Amino acid sequence: MRLACQTIGSEELTSTLKPLTATDSHRLGLLTSLDGRQLVALVLDLKGRTAGLVRCELDQCHYSSLTPLIPQAHWFERALKDLFGITPAGHPRLKSNFVPEAFEATLAPLRSAGDRGKLAGEPPRDFRFLRVGGEGVYEVPVGPIHAGVIEPAHFRLSCLGEFICNLELRLGFLHRGVERRLTEVSWPNARFVAEAASSDTAAGNALAHAIAMESLLEVEVSPRARHLRTLALEVERIAMHIADIGGLGVDLGFLGVAAGLSRLRGAAVGLADLLSGSRFMRGYICPGGVTLAEGGRLSQLRAQAQKLRRDVRGFVQMFLDNASVQERLTDTGKVSRGLARDFGLVGVAARASGIAYDARQHFLHGDYPPLAPAPAVERGGDALDRTRVRARELETSFSILEAVLDEEFAGECAVALPQALPANEAACGIVEAFRGELIHLIFTDARGRISRYAIKDPSFNNWTGMAIAARNNLIADFPVANKSFALSYSGHDL
Amino acid sequence: MLKLLFYLIKNGCLTQRKICPSLDEPALGLPRLVPGKNWTEQAARRCAEACPTQAITAGDRGGESPSASPALTLDLGKCIGCMLCLKVCPSGFIVADRSTRTATTRREDLVLSPRSLPGPQEALPQKEAAGGLFGKSISVRVVSTGCSACDLEVAAAFNPIFDAERFGIHLTASPRMADVLLVTGPAGRGMHEPLKRAYEAMPEPRIVIAAGTCAISGGVHAGNYSQADGVGAVLPVDIFIPGCPPHPWSIIHGIMEAMRLPLDRARPGSSLNAP
Repeated sequence: MRLACQTIGSEELTSTLKPLTATDSHRLGLLTSLDGRQLVALVLDLKGRTAGLVRCELDQCHYSSLTPLIPQAHWFERALKDLFGITPAGHPRLKSNFVPEAFEATLAPLRSAGDRGKLAGEPPRDFRFLRVGGEGVYEVPVGPIHAGVIEPAHFRLSCLGEFICNLELRLGFLHRGVERRLTEVSWPNARFVAEAASSDTAAGNALAHAIAMESLLEVEVSPRARHLRTLALEVERIAMHIADIGGLGVDLGFLGVAAGLSRLRGAAVGLADLLSGSRFMRGYICPGGVTLAEGGRLSQLRAQAQKLRRDVRGFVQMFLDNASVQERLTDTGKVSRGLARDFGLVGVAARASGIAYDARQHFLHGDYPPLAPAPAVERGGDALDRTRVRARELETSFSILEAVLDEEFAGECAVALPQALPANEAACGIVEAFRGELIHLIFTDARGRISRYAIKDPSFNNWTGMAIAARNNLIADFPVANKSFALSYSGHDL
Repeated sequence: MLKLLFYLIKNGCLTQRKICPSLDEPALGLPRLVPGKNWTEQAARRCAEACPTQAITAGDRGGESPSASPALTLDLGKCIGCMLCLKVCPSGFIVADRSTRTATTRREDLVLSPRSLPGPQEALPQKEAAGGLFGKSISVRVVSTGCSACDLEVAAAFNPIFDAERFGIHLTASPRMADVLLVTGPAGRGMHEPLKRAYEAMPEPRIVIAAGTCAISGGVHAGNYSQADGVGAVLPVDIFIPGCPPHPWSIIHGIMEAMRLPLDRARPGSSLNAP
């Protein structure tokens, strides 16, 4: 959607944003900057199904941190420091999590090149770990390279006996400069970079990108494209929810179910292949519609989805009914509803903690909100409830597939796009990807080029949840808790 | 547990029997230049302009001689398989290639031109694999530095459908037990040091596989401030598997190529100072 902008003074920041984010009907979607000389907040109005920008010019490279009063801002403020060199003075735990130590200390990659001189007096990025003191406390360092086939990050566990006192996350190892690259490529090619933010969410990223671009270009897609996009988004959700439940099976040593689910993920990826020609639906969703006509393959898709649904249901039920699984997952990696709300968790992790937020109910993407299912909400906030949420969402996703396949596929696959982007505009695309709320926010400059492209992966919000969940858990349960969140590293590090 | 056993027995063996088969439509595959097909400079330039990763170069055809550099090249090591070139070039000198036998042992073999077209790749005889550097068994340590699509495809190569273990390929959790370092992703600056350390921890002889377009060339990330220009900038690479991401069969093909590498391919004392 196109975004209106309200400009305020820096002294009004907290007083403006606090009431906007303190209620359940509003969220802080993003807090970032364009080139380091201002702060821009994207505020989502869930009830009004809309969003708006709040902008505040900065004369200096620092401002008074919002985090003490608005905890949702805390991860965003770390990103401001890393990417723009802006210091949120008074942030309770400012550390570097986006640009690794290997890069030069003064690098602020998204700050405008002519404006780096101002950074001279500012403190450099901080890489110190939080130390837990006391007799018998020891540290377990894990990563950045992990034992499995999984993305890299460093975890430092401070433990007392078998229990974790504190988990320190150090991310950023996958920093590839995606956001800056998105402002360098020509806009018709931006979709390939946007997808590569995190390719397990290729359909979600491509859809958020397409919606933002279509808002800028004032283009409306056909019902056919809407339906095909919905299918793509739900096929991705099905494939990844199966993978994530199966991954938990691996970590618990329940290998029969894990092997079965890894095969069924293969079948779900087969649906993606059938729909788009790519197992990850790379390059499928584009601004204007989708790139491949469905041909006569939808009936095949329906039949395969129905069979997959039966198989998945059986395996997931076997998993959830197993007494060892229940014992291991209950109360493991717990996040209370209060903390989940304060820190603005999204997606599966939020719904498992009792927060009924599913972006499909609020924001236009694909056939949503009209076809949006009721959010799958659980109360316990532990690994078991996150698995239950996934299990329930698998069912609703299959139902959505069937409902969409019953619709009439009218219109073109893709409509033609105008030649140029409008000048000085801002638009965003908000999508409920399989991990949760995914936001792409695009600004254009006076010449109609993309001047700033911000991506907020659902994992951006939820890594905080992982850090909370690890506390007071057994070390042996840490991989299980981590897997139950199943967060993205690349989508976070960009 | 009985339910699980019953299900597994009822469904029987679900593993694909044909090794590295070509993909069916609508799978997009990778682009390929057709030998002998006539092409025009204009059409080649259109393809080059459409390519989002500059994988296609189109030069002047007038002075083409066997010694000059080819006027048209397609670098699969940069290609992300978007197939825009096929869409803008209906004359058919670029077509979709759905083969999964895509891995090469030399970077330059991924750069296709109308002259240097590789012949149809022969079937992969398993007997031959047995004679190679790593005989019948190879241990692979996977290091991810990218967007996770390639990692998911590596993981998929070990699922019951593709079952890479039946070829003697094992995943190992420690580089100290690994013959192969299989790297996915463009290897940005943050991963340079971890990659070097993992490589140094491996026993010799050791092999590096760059899996996926990002690992080979940086893909869409190449040339950025993050120095995410592929694994080759950090480690000596022995096998290249193109694709964005490569199909699980292509990944298996690449690892089997590593098993077939001749014994003299071992690099005793290969040092990181001169990659």
